Amino acid sequence: MKNALYIILIFFGSISAQNEKIFDQANTLYNEGKFSDALSRYDVILNSGEHSAELYYNIANAHYKLNNIALSIYYYEKALALKPKDKDIQNNLAFANNMRIDAIDNLPEVGLSKFIKKVTNIQSFNGWAKLAVILVIVFVVLYLVYYFSFGTQKKRIFFVSSILSIVLAFIVLTITFYSYSLDKKNNPAIVFAQETQVKSEPNLRSDEAFVLHEGTKVQVLDSVNNWNEIMLSNGKTGWISKSDIKLLNTF
Amino acid sequence: MKLTKQITILLIILFSSIAGAQVQFKTKVSKKTLGLNERLRVDFSMNKDGDNFNPPDFDGFSVVGGPNQSVSNSWINGKRSFEKTYSYFLSPKRMGSLMLESASIEINGETYKTDAIVIKVTKEIEKPKDPNNIIASDNIHLVAEVSKTNPYLNEAITIVYKLYVAQGTGVSNWRETDDPEYDDFWSQSINPRGLKIEKGKYKGEDYQYVVLRRTVLYPQKSGKLIIEPLKLDIVADIPTRRRDIFGQRLMSKVNVPVSAGRRTINVKALPEEGKPLDFSGAVGDFKFNLSTSKSKLNANESMQAKVSVSGKGNLKLLTLPKLTLPNSLEVYEPEHSENVRTNLSGMQGEVSDSYTIVPQYKGKYPIPTISFSYFDLRTETYKRISSNETIINVLEGPVYGASDNSLTAEGSGTQNVVLDNDQFAFIKTKPNFISKKKSSFFKSKAFWASLLTPLLAIPLAIVFRKKREQRAGDIEGNRLRKADRLAKKYLSEAKKSLGQKDAFYVALEKALHNYLKAKLNIETSDLSKDKIKKLLLERNVENTVVVDFKSILKNCELARYTPITTVTMQQDYEKSASTISLIDKQIR
Repeated sequence: MKNALYIILIFFGSISAQNEKIFDQANTLYNEGKFSDALSRYDVILNSGEHSAELYYNIANAHYKLNNIALSIYYYEKALALKPKDKDIQNNLAFANNMRIDAIDNLPEVGLSKFIKKVTNIQSFNGWAKLAVILVIVFVVLYLVYYFSFGTQKKRIFFVSSILSIVLAFIVLTITFYSYSLDKKNNPAIVFAQETQVKSEPNLRSDEAFVLHEGTKVQVLDSVNNWNEIMLSNGKTGWISKSDIKLLNTF
Repeated sequence: MKLTKQITILLIILFSSIAGAQVQFKTKVSKKTLGLNERLRVDFSMNKDGDNFNPPDFDGFSVVGGPNQSVSNSWINGKRSFEKTYSYFLSPKRMGSLMLESASIEINGETYKTDAIVIKVTKEIEKPKDPNNIIASDNIHLVAEVSKTNPYLNEAITIVYKLYVAQGTGVSNWRETDDPEYDDFWSQSINPRGLKIEKGKYKGEDYQYVVLRRTVLYPQKSGKLIIEPLKLDIVADIPTRRRDIFGQRLMSKVNVPVSAGRRTINVKALPEEGKPLDFSGAVGDFKFNLSTSKSKLNANESMQAKVSVSGKGNLKLLTLPKLTLPNSLEVYEPEHSENVRTNLSGMQGEVSDSYTIVPQYKGKYPIPTISFSYFDLRTETYKRISSNETIINVLEGPVYGASDNSLTAEGSGTQNVVLDNDQFAFIKTKPNFISKKKSSFFKSKAFWASLLTPLLAIPLAIVFRKKREQRAGDIEGNRLRKADRLAKKYLSEAKKSLGQKDAFYVALEKALHNYLKAKLNIETSDLSKDKIKKLLLERNVENTVVVDFKSILKNCELARYTPITTVTMQQDYEKSASTISLIDKQIR
């Protein structure tokens, strides 16, 4: 059993080392301006079951250089999903977004919901979960110190701080659940068709609600047969053919 | 003098007779009853000149000629007669009794009016009564030649009107009475400059003809479309039987109406099969082009993108495809320009839309491909031409900062990118690969375990403390436990050999000595019973206890020589254990 584990570890280790070599090769090709060749090398890494924000970022850059609007935005968004705070990715995504045709306003969020969203988005739900665990441990330690310590002053301080930390832990836990539910609901996709009609119903007969162009990011809400219900950032909804968009959450 | 008087009188008489002459203003019609196909001549005549002649508005008639003015002045036997006539030629529009309203005129400041006349219009009467007209209509023909009677929608056809005149007859003048209106057609007439008499054949006979007009038509509707005939009124010169002194035939002028006949055009609709979605009605043979004036420029400079369609077909009727551009480019309304010539084969030339584009930000902007579809008449199929995708590269300028497409996604709060550098960033060189399999910490077993296990520490601590307090409270038990502990520490050897008399007492003595040595810090050599007693008493140990201790030591010595039961041994062991604990308690 143990041996098998080692073999697996070594195996993965070798894949990783190989991938890094391919990554370097691809980067060299990119630097020489052979973007298509670089892309085919990057693809090899993707197919090996490993990924990283950097890999997606480099693929997106190559697509940008080849003027593939939708593909470059798609991979930038993927990179950003793994590393939401990376400045380079944000910068180049802005460049790629320049190539888009649709201009869509954001639905303004106000007051409390904006604040909650902002707080929730500070880190991923895993980060929040870790914070909750840490706060629970802090609570237990503080409580024990309170329990075993003598002297009213000391006891008072430790009791108050332990109660504070358990309350915080509950708040963080709530945020974790909320963040998790947001993450489950979040199903973004990128429009790949150069121009596509978004219908008001999931069939070809229905009226055209609006027209979308390549590279626009949409939220997928629902699906019926070959149609996806989508929502734009300005709150408009409609049905789009599944073949016209590509989901970001599939790796 | 007398003569002058006479002249004066004569003049007075003369003038007074003129002044006294009756003013007459009358309507005369050529006939009061006429057929629908006949003409009516109406004369408004007056015997004094007047102003502001106001004809009636010939309701029910169309004016085919006039007004013609004629003035006649004559002196007969010194009597002047004056007549001025306005004459009109009218043709009735419908049957029934038509009223010719009165006309008015001002003569010497007074307004005169004619009487109204009722004209009776009957059915068309047999015509022509004039044999000359028969000759004329046999020899003069107006023909409309249509290039194609079953064109496609929006296919150019031409209609040419030719007037054939037989040899020997002539046409001195004509007038259009009915002009065809090309409803449901887009039309443009190309009228020939001047009239050229050409020779041609009409029904196998030699004729001379002139082309009166040419019109290019683009049908705008499918189905049977009717072109109303062109009708002319021709003044024809017909040879008569009379000859002049040179033996040549005298010609007589005859009015002949001629008509080109009504033409029906059967317009075919364009086939539905294979009709492209972006088809906008272009039919013909076209070239489509999208060109930009620059491919590289700086922000805030302007450039032109031109969408043009050139070739042959309904250029003026087609709509050019719209250019869709990235939202971050400023685009102005296109300037439409047409350079189209129309000749007999249709329209030819180029139409174009020119867009002025001003980029605001640095970056690359693709102009997406746009396509133009048309119906090719030669192959009778639809064709589509797509433009190449063009990239506008904006080299210098501010950077477009905001990603405006953030949704309620994770991290959406951070999507408003503020760029600290305005360059397209280079690729990353450190891969930092991770497995694609997502391992989520939240809701995993490890998460719940690490969240809840620390909480268990609290009840454990409470139980622990409770136990400790309980122990601290139990004094007797404490003492026992302490004795136990001491006994365990020093008497364990002795306990092991409990039952074997010699070994037990040796071990017990040794244990007691060891205890004292440890407690009192004395050497083995000077350990006598008296010294032990003295030392113990010095350290505030009660006398009875000391006595007990001494008795145990004594027992140890005695036991070597006397038989001793196991019960005694047990008693001694317990006694020594309790004594040790008592000493331990009392010793200072």
